[in-house]
Amino acid sequence: MKNRPLDLVSSLNISRRHVKYSERLLDRRRFCTAAMATVVAAVGAAVAPRLDARVVGADHGIVDPPVPLPAVAVRRADGATASLADLVRGHTTALHLMFTGCSTVCPIQGAIFERVQALLPDQLERRIQLLSLSVDPLADTPGAMRAWLRRFDARAGWTAVAPDVKDLTVLLDFFGQGGNALENHATQVNIVDRSGSLVFRTQELPSADSIANILRKV
Amino acid sequence: MRRNPPRLRPRVLVGQARRVAAAHRVLLIGLALLGAVAHADPPSLRDQLRLGQALFGGEIDLEGRIYTHVVDLPASVVRCANCHAVADGPDVPRSLAPRLNHDLLLRPRSRRGGPATTYDRDRFCTLLRRGLDPASVLISVEMPRYAMDDASCAALWRYVTWNADEKQTP
Repeated sequence: MKNRPLDLVSSLNISRRHVKYSERLLDRRRFCTAAMATVVAAVGAAVAPRLDARVVGADHGIVDPPVPLPAVAVRRADGATASLADLVRGHTTALHLMFTGCSTVCPIQGAIFERVQALLPDQLERRIQLLSLSVDPLADTPGAMRAWLRRFDARAGWTAVAPDVKDLTVLLDFFGQGGNALENHATQVNIVDRSGSLVFRTQELPSADSIANILRKV
Repeated sequence: MRRNPPRLRPRVLVGQARRVAAAHRVLLIGLALLGAVAHADPPSLRDQLRLGQALFGGEIDLEGRIYTHVVDLPASVVRCANCHAVADGPDVPRSLAPRLNHDLLLRPRSRRGGPATTYDRDRFCTLLRRGLDPASVLISVEMPRYAMDDASCAALWRYVTWNADEKQTP
């Protein structure tokens, strides 16, 4: 049946003018709702704080603007010393905090990185690297770090480093230390772009699949 | 003498008869197993404690994963003993996870300001499987969720409460 609404209108004895008036009223309401939503969104975007690695601590999400990693020296698992900034430059890096004497969350973090490597067979071609940053520089000797990497069958493209003790606080602040104790360290994964800047910070203990997806897109 | 030809049953009927016979056999075997299970002795306390200890310490593998993940973690990284200890004692070294002692498990206590609750076996199993504590609050993401059958969960509960209950004598 055609013009069903009009038939209904006529059957209800409502004039066409009333219908048009109602439609205009409805249009106005829609317009007002849309306008309010736009205003709210604009105000929200202006007021919402941007995620800044220097202040967010353990928060997560896109880091805008990207923040260069602190210029500190680190000791690599192969015994050599390098600048952390140099180590990450030129690669897309997934970095987590850990220490080799940790039996609680660090083994889970290691297992997650192990699976990331399995999910990224073309990791080296994509210039992606995984970096385990120790928060226990006194105990985590190059030998301890190598043993830790072996435990998770780490392949090329995954290395471990430990900072100097004097730089530990700077790094812990930067990467969102959960507290003073070693076991309190954040379990997020920090994504660093090829220019050496922190661009994304995941939630605690992210899945390997999500890390691999992010690394493919950065 | 004229011999009668052999009687041929239609194939459909033969197949149906075989299926019925097979179903009967399955039914009988099932009933026999059910009877055996029903008359089997419940696991002894000693057996339960041994099983619980093996599960807690990781001698028997657990299936666990972080609840935001799509695959299980290796058994070696989801052992209870990696983070927890049983009975009273000092804090677990380098761990934020609590000791599973009398105070935590068996004494009614308010969690996050709510009414006092306590663990029992079912609540303990709910926490292990779904991450909900007795106050129905989701626990930390770092605690894996476990796929665990009732017998294993009951054994683990026996083990941690045996050690936690001060009135028990080993």
